[in-house]
Amino acid sequence: MKPLKEADVSILSTSLGITRYRVVEEIPDSLWREVPKRLADNAFRDIDATTDERSWGWCNLDNMLDMDWAESPPEKGHYMCFSLRLDTRRIPPAVFKKHCMIALTQELAQAKAEGKAFISKDRRREIKDQVMLRLRARSLPVPAVFDAVWNTQTGRVLFCSTNSKAKTLFEDHFTLSFGLELEPLTPFALGLDMLGEAAASRLENLEPTSFT
Amino acid sequence: MDLTLTERESIILGQDFLTWLWHVTEARGGVFKDKDGREFHLRMEERLSVQGGDGEGLESASVKSPSGELTEARSGLRTGKKVNRAQLRFDRDPESWQMTVKDSDFSLSGLKTPKIETKDREDDDPDARVLEKLYLVEQCLELYDSVYQEFLTVRLSAKWAEETRTVAAWIAKG
Repeated sequence: MKPLKEADVSILSTSLGITRYRVVEEIPDSLWREVPKRLADNAFRDIDATTDERSWGWCNLDNMLDMDWAESPPEKGHYMCFSLRLDTRRIPPAVFKKHCMIALTQELAQAKAEGKAFISKDRRREIKDQVMLRLRARSLPVPAVFDAVWNTQTGRVLFCSTNSKAKTLFEDHFTLSFGLELEPLTPFALGLDMLGEAAASRLENLEPTSFT
Repeated sequence: MDLTLTERESIILGQDFLTWLWHVTEARGGVFKDKDGREFHLRMEERLSVQGGDGEGLESASVKSPSGELTEARSGLRTGKKVNRAQLRFDRDPESWQMTVKDSDFSLSGLKTPKIETKDREDDDPDARVLEKLYLVEQCLELYDSVYQEFLTVRLSAKWAEETRTVAAWIAKG
């Protein structure tokens, strides 16, 4: 996955990108009390000391280093506020290519010394994997943070990004954490939400208007 | 282009809405009412895109005009294109908001709320800034929703045919 262009999108930004969601299922009242624990259970795990390519999970909206909500709780007024943090190690393709060349040249020299003329396909793949791991071990993950706000009165969720990869990650991690499905409030979904199920067949059978 | 049912419906609704909205903002001098009956102004300004055709024949034109003249996009409407992205400005005395809406998914970008005081605050509540910002963002969404709801009511009623003719006459007039 390429690094996301819009990193650190705070709800306090002057210029916001927003995706609106509704929760498909009815939200059980008991869930609100469980939110802090469920966030903590699905919190971001740091990968600085590993060679993992990426990691994601929830963190405190007030501080992306706080994965225990020690600084402040997620409850703010009638909102549950939290952030999706995504750290990604990205090795530039040119760097990877160069180090693969170095490793393969060395390997070939060794193979020749042993009387072999070539490196097998499997061995090449193995070398490339090792190069990638070595490079990852030397590179620092780049963090990205996207704020999310869940209105406990309306059940609606605002996610501070319109990036499709960030949205998918958010939707999946939300479902994993809370057992609830999010539906983006597209023109159709927002219309259905406003007018109720009774309007479904009318909304589904629309033809585009010709204004000319 | 293979679209699922609601994606197709969303594009129809989104484009019909934004095209209708452009006409309505001009026809009414931008005056709308919120759900409590309070007046607010809505203008489509500076940035706007129109789109027409489909599949490989998809054509679009984007206009950026600080003076607010969107003549080239207007002529796009005359060739059957519809608005697929627009910058909206809401004013409800004394506050104003700005955001850009995309037709197909109603994703919002460049949402600017009235400024919140960030320095020298004497709030006891450390969450005050976030809560104030959320209040302002939700106010904007509420205004937006009230306009969309008005559109839906007309769009799904028998009045839509008449409304279509009015919009068509406005487009033809250029």
